[in-house]
Amino acid sequence: MAEPVLDGLLREQRLLLCVGSGGVGKTTVAASLAVQAALRGRRVLVLTIDPARRLANSLGLQRFGNDAVPVALPDGGEPGGSLHAMMLDPHTTIRQLIERVAPDAASAERILHNRIFRAIADSIAGSQEYMATEKLYDVVDSGRYDLVVLDTPPVKNALDFLDAPGRLARFTDRQIMKWFLAPYEEGRGFGRLLWGTSAVVFRLLGYVFGKEFLGELSEFFQAFRDLYDGFRERSEAVVEMFAAPSTRFLVVCAPTASSVDTARFFLGELRQRGLPCAGVVVNQRAVVGSVAPDAEAALGALAHEHEAGLAPHTADALVARLGAADRRLRELAALEQRRLAFVGQAMAPSQSIWGAPRLEGEVHDLDALIRLGGFLTGGAP
Amino acid sequence: MPLTDLLDSRLLLVTGKGGTGKSSLAAACGRLSAERGKRVVVAEVDSFQSPMPGLLGRTPEFQPRPIARNLDLCNITWLEALEDWLHRAIHVQRVVQLILRNRLVNLFLDATPGVRETVILSRIAHLCDEYDQVVVDLPASGHAVGILQVPWVARELLETGPIRDVADQVIELLARPDSRLAIVALPEEMVVNETIELAERLRAEVPVLAAPVVMLNRATSPSLTADERTLLLRLHQATGVRAGDGQAGPVAELLRAGRWEAELEDATREAIARLSALQLTPFELPRLGALGGFQGGPDVVVQQMARALARGLSRELAGEPHG
Repeated sequence: MAEPVLDGLLREQRLLLCVGSGGVGKTTVAASLAVQAALRGRRVLVLTIDPARRLANSLGLQRFGNDAVPVALPDGGEPGGSLHAMMLDPHTTIRQLIERVAPDAASAERILHNRIFRAIADSIAGSQEYMATEKLYDVVDSGRYDLVVLDTPPVKNALDFLDAPGRLARFTDRQIMKWFLAPYEEGRGFGRLLWGTSAVVFRLLGYVFGKEFLGELSEFFQAFRDLYDGFRERSEAVVEMFAAPSTRFLVVCAPTASSVDTARFFLGELRQRGLPCAGVVVNQRAVVGSVAPDAEAALGALAHEHEAGLAPHTADALVARLGAADRRLRELAALEQRRLAFVGQAMAPSQSIWGAPRLEGEVHDLDALIRLGGFLTGGAP
Repeated sequence: MPLTDLLDSRLLLVTGKGGTGKSSLAAACGRLSAERGKRVVVAEVDSFQSPMPGLLGRTPEFQPRPIARNLDLCNITWLEALEDWLHRAIHVQRVVQLILRNRLVNLFLDATPGVRETVILSRIAHLCDEYDQVVVDLPASGHAVGILQVPWVARELLETGPIRDVADQVIELLARPDSRLAIVALPEEMVVNETIELAERLRAEVPVLAAPVVMLNRATSPSLTADERTLLLRLHQATGVRAGDGQAGPVAELLRAGRWEAELEDATREAIARLSALQLTPFELPRLGALGGFQGGPDVVVQQMARALARGLSRELAGEPHG
C-alpha cells in the first residue's frame, strides 16, 4: 500500500523543495523521492547543490556542471518515467544568467569582464543561493520535466535561499539603479555634477568605500543597468514559483534534538512566508521491532554454533554485548518518538510526517535510494 | 602541539560541515578557556536561530554579555556590526547618522557584495583587542571560506579607504601565530570529503592562516575484540540482517544494534586513516551515549566536550599521543 499523501505529491506536483539542516540526508531524501516519482511514470530532474560524492557517482554525475545527466532506472516502473540529475556549478550558472538577461552580447561581455564582477563572482558568499534559484527557474520553465526535486543548501543558507530572489531584486532595484546611474544618464561625468539627493548618497558612500572606488563601483552598476529588468522579472517569477499551488516544500530532519529544533524553525518560517509546506520527512530513524522474550537465548545458541576457532567465551561476551546494545537502541527509539511528537506539535493539521529508517552504511547507490524511497512512500519492503 | 596551539590561540575560528557540532565545540572551547582563567568571548556570526540558548544558556546579543566567570557571549549581527564599524571607521558622528538613516545608502550597503563580510570581520578583529580569546562560531565550510577570503578581494579592488583598512587589519590578524582554525568533522564519508576539500581551499585561499586542526566529533573507539567482530560477521551472514531495515525475527533484532556499533567503529577508524594520510590527523571527541542515545541536553554535551578537550590538553602537555 502506497502512502497516499506522498504518492499524490510525487504524481501531481511540479516542484518539490527539500529544506533542512546539514547532515540529515537531505540530498539522499531528495534523490530517493526523485527516483520514486520517475518510477511513477514522470519525467523528473533532481537538482543538487552540495552532493555527497558517492551519491553523485551512483547517479552517474562524474563532474560538476550544469548539464542534466540521465540516470538509468530499474525495470518495473510505470511507463514514460525518466530521471535526470544535475549538480549546480555556480560559475557556469552566473555566466549563463548574464548571457541570458543581457540585451546583447556586448553588454554581457562588458559585465563578464568588469573587474568588480569578476572578483565578486568568485567570492560572493551567497552566490550559491542566487544561482540555485536562477537555475531552478530555468529548469522548471524549460518544460522538459514534469517534476523538479531540489536539494537546497543547508540551514543558515536555506533561509538565504528563500530570500535570494528578493535580495537579488533589491540589488537591482530600479530606484537604486536610477540614483546611481543618474549622473551618466544625464550625460554628466561622474564627480563633476554631484548634486541633490544622489550627491548626498554618493558622498555618504564615499566615506565607506573611498571616493576613488566609487567611480568604479558606479561603472559596475552602469554595466548592470541593462540587466536589471531581466533580473527583476526573473526574481519575481521565482518568488511566484515558490508559492505556486504546484509547489511543495518538504522539511527534512534527523531525529536528533538539534535537527528537530531546526525542523520546527523551518515549519514556522515557511508558514510565516505563506509558502506551501507538505510536512516533515524524518530520516535516519532508529527502528526496533518487537522483542521476543527468548531472543537472547536463541541468539546465544546461534552464536555457540558459529563460535568455532574463536577465543573461549567469545559467544557469551558478544551475546551480552548485543543484548546491552539492543537495550540502548530501544531507549534511543523511544527518545526519538518523543522528539517526533515535539515536531508534530509545530505542524498544521494538513501537514504529514514521514519516517525512514537509518540504513546500514551510507546511502550511495541506486538500490539504497530505491529502498529509502520505498520506506517513505510506504510501498516497498 | 596542535591542541595546545588551538586552545591557547587568541582568535579561534570554528567551522565545518553543517550538523557536525561546530557551535557545541565553539561553546566547549569557550568554557574550557574561561575555566583556565582567560577572558573569553564566544561569538556567533549573524545567526538566525542561535543554538546558544541550549548550549550556553543564553540568547546572544550583539553586545557581549556574561554567561559565566570570564566567559561572554555575543552574536555579530550584520546591521549592528555595520553601525559599530561606521562609528569606529568614520569619526564624524553626523556622517554616521546620515549613512544609517539614508534608505538608499542602506540598500546599497546591503546589496553590495562583500560589505557584510567586511563589517563582520572588522567586529571580530575589534573583539580580539578586548579579550584574551575570541572563539568564533563561523558558518558552514563554504560560507566560512567565502567570508575569510573577502579581505583579499577588497585588497585587490581598493587602494585606500575604510574597507581597505579593514582588509589589511584582518589579514594581519589571520596571519598572527596565535590565530587558529578548527574544522569539526564526523566519522562519515561525505563529511570527511568536505573536511579535506575545506582544508585544501583554506590553504589556497586563506594562505596566511596556520594549518587547520580537525576535531573528529562523535568518534567511536573500538570496543569489540577481533574475535567478537568475526563472530558478529558470521552471525550476520547466517541471518542476513541489515541494520535498520525493519526485518523482524528475534535474533535479527539483537544483531541490528551490534552491527550498528561495529559500523560506527569502522567508520571512525576509516575517517582517522583518511585524514591522517593528508596530515590532517584529527583530535577525537568521543560520541556521547552509545548509538547516539544520549539523553543529556546540549549544555551537557558542551560540558562533556570541554572535559574531553581538557583531558586531551593534559595528555598533550605530558607528551602522550592522542586517541
